[in-house]
Amino acid sequence: MLPATALALGLLAALLAWPVPAALSRARWPRRDPLAALVCWQAIGLAGGLSIIGALLTHGLAPWGHSLPEAWWHWVTRQSAEEPVRGDHWVAQTLAAVLALELLGVLVLSLVRTARTRRRHRALLELVVEPAAAGEDTRLLDHPAPVAFCIPGARPLLVLSSGMVAELDGAQVDAVVAHERAHLTEHHHLLLLPFVAWRAALPVLPAADRAHDAVRDLVEMRADDVALGSLTGPDRRRTLAAAIVAVAAGAGGQLPDGALAVTGGAVAVRVRRLLAPAAPLPVAARAAALACALALLLVPTVLLVLPALT
Amino acid sequence: MNTLGDLERAVLEHLWAVGGPVTATQLRDSFADRGLALTTVHTVLSRLEQKGFVDHDEARPRQFRARGSREEHVAELMHEVLGQAGDRQAALARFVGSVGADEVRMLRELLAGAGEHPTR
Repeated sequence: MLPATALALGLLAALLAWPVPAALSRARWPRRDPLAALVCWQAIGLAGGLSIIGALLTHGLAPWGHSLPEAWWHWVTRQSAEEPVRGDHWVAQTLAAVLALELLGVLVLSLVRTARTRRRHRALLELVVEPAAAGEDTRLLDHPAPVAFCIPGARPLLVLSSGMVAELDGAQVDAVVAHERAHLTEHHHLLLLPFVAWRAALPVLPAADRAHDAVRDLVEMRADDVALGSLTGPDRRRTLAAAIVAVAAGAGGQLPDGALAVTGGAVAVRVRRLLAPAAPLPVAARAAALACALALLLVPTVLLVLPALT
Repeated sequence: MNTLGDLERAVLEHLWAVGGPVTATQLRDSFADRGLALTTVHTVLSRLEQKGFVDHDEARPRQFRARGSREEHVAELMHEVLGQAGDRQAALARFVGSVGADEVRMLRELLAGAGEHPTR
């Protein structure tokens, strides 16, 4: 039972490490339904980690029992193995431990690091800038470049630059604020965090890079969608698109050329889907995407636990 | 209001306005209208010091001065916000990331063209 399980998990891990993220990041449907796509990416990340560590553990602990829970229990209680233990079993165990520690460790590390950066930024903003009239959590920063950002966390801050307020009209500023508020209320920073961490943990894996970029862009599209829902103007899609272009142009002028262009056309995708929206994903397609995400999580879990029940 | 945050802001503003080094006693006297105790002034100063906005010399009594002007702090923050370093992107969510001049031109065309014919 165990070798087959390890093989199946390894196969799933290989699929999730390369072809699946490649296909999803190339697909065009995510921009029609960023939320469903974000759920899929979270499932891919979680299932990928679960299946590769599960595959290594299942193989490494195979001599100790016929299912992972049973073998794990025998191993933890230091019972002698039922079958001879070879070198590759020890290697697999060690790899599983190293990988699990690295993934979790990097996650915690980047959690701590971003929390520290946020705390520093928040302290600076609270000291240097008076609260804006728009609200206790809003700050108006005296700077000519049109810039808006939010600092997520327990006490979030929404920051607009004076250049932004000067260059954009009232409706556009409202659109920008609605977009940033959407990031805060939906806790988008938490959706992005594991992908930031795993990109740092697995620099050799192109899928980690690809997944991070896709999630970063999808989060922006999702915030655009939520912002549209809370705006009331006659042509709110155009208002938001114009705000994006104005801010991109203003900030772009501030920076030397060449250091930029990292977004890889993601801003253009946002503007296009605002100006010429595609039909939303049919209910059935959305349900299928969510079902796939659920299946991705269930398959490795079942593979790991089920042999114990049969 | 005399919350720590407000006091920190007021003290830092004062240090910026004065420009030169100031002792804690002088600060207390400058804020006589708030009725601050000397210990409160020291608390505020040490918090500002921890955050890197104030430092002191070794003279007796200690003299405190602001580290960097308001403009310098804002410029430093904006430099980080506009920069592309990975952990910065994780720390805050920016409305629009940096784009190159070519992309700006293309975005403007998109916006201008959308009036007449829908683009894909």
